[in-house]
Amino acid sequence: MHQRKQYIALAFLASLGSVAATAARAEAQQIVTTVCVACHGEGGNSVVPMFPRLAGLQAEYIEKQLKDFLSNKRKSEVMMPAIANVKESDAAGLAAYYAAQKPQKGEVKDEKRAAAGKVLFDDGNTTTGVPACSGCHQAGGVGNERYPRLAGQHQEYTSQQMLQFKEGGRNNDKGKVMRAVASRLTEQEIADLSEYLAGL
Amino acid sequence: MKANISRVVFGTVAALLASGVLAQAGTNSGATEEPEYTWNAMQGEKLQALRAKGDPARGEITFEICQGCHRARALGRTDGSYPRLAGQHDTVLIKQMTDVRAGRRKNDKMLPFIERHAVSPQDIADIAAYLSKLPVPANNGQGPGNDLATAERIYADKCVSCHGAAGEGDANEFYPRLSGQHYKYLVREMTDIRDGSRLNANPRMVEVVKGMPDSMVQIVSDYISRLPVGGAK
Repeated sequence: MHQRKQYIALAFLASLGSVAATAARAEAQQIVTTVCVACHGEGGNSVVPMFPRLAGLQAEYIEKQLKDFLSNKRKSEVMMPAIANVKESDAAGLAAYYAAQKPQKGEVKDEKRAAAGKVLFDDGNTTTGVPACSGCHQAGGVGNERYPRLAGQHQEYTSQQMLQFKEGGRNNDKGKVMRAVASRLTEQEIADLSEYLAGL
Repeated sequence: MKANISRVVFGTVAALLASGVLAQAGTNSGATEEPEYTWNAMQGEKLQALRAKGDPARGEITFEICQGCHRARALGRTDGSYPRLAGQHDTVLIKQMTDVRAGRRKNDKMLPFIERHAVSPQDIADIAAYLSKLPVPANNGQGPGNDLATAERIYADKCVSCHGAAGEGDANEFYPRLSGQHYKYLVREMTDIRDGSRLNANPRMVEVVKGMPDSMVQIVSDYISRLPVGGAK
């Protein structure tokens, strides 16, 4: 009898949990369709080059970035007003939504540049001490739970972010590692890398 | 290997006391001069990392920061730009990482990736534990193969007492394993140690390489790069 009571209590708690999860999903969906979609596009596949594609990015990464925007640790004049009504507690649900979307392939506009970008991405630059990007972001830029996916991102957005890491403006990278790498990249190399990544 | 560390540290401290180095340093405290360089002084983060229990599984993850240069499974590059770290002794790795971090070994390329904001002493212990257990394949870069017989005699005469006949080094003494290392990296480091630009070299090593012309550095490095990798554990 006692065990049975425990079981019922557990089942009740579990159903509460799943009700809460469903509610969180619905709430995330609501924010996606009323707030995010305007810039980040249907299913997180933005078509405007200055707005990043979010589809298929790691949930860990999206959640951290969203929280960093909310606390102004990552600064953006575009994001700040857009997320005025988003709460920190929404971050995990939104991250889960975009992580589950299917990423679309971007488009290479300059094959030569993309080829140079691939060499740098896979091998780095031993003369200037640029590590191979694939060391952290993985072969093909797919990322993992510690380092974000870069594959298929708009050229313009990737370049803009790397320049911010290089010149200041973005400083929410773990261990200052991305800033150290970007400081060694030339603008030419940044453009090459962005071109390569867009086509993945 | 690390189980012996406290013994090594104790031994080193005892030896330093016996030689009067520590006693002297004690009387110098408060002096304005930079304290005299003591090779492999057992202090600070080096000691912290040596005492920490390294976890190879965590180390493999932390090593992601390093593998953009040192490559997957820490095989380095045959052009010598980045050394092979696979199979190196954990004590040696910890010494070198903490020396670079402390500015004791000059390495501007590596510095931002080993500084305090990037990794902790525990991370350093983890990375060392991971690397020291990696296999060492026999595909390291080798030299042109000139005058190996002369190089063998020089190695037996000058190098073997510390680095061992198989180039296996000595974890307890912080002497690096040399077998399996890239030829061009060996040339570069031996030259830097000779010319005083590595900054953290063992004075005994400096003494040995001091008078060596470039040609001798090259043939000895070449000989070392050809030592069988299976000889060291």
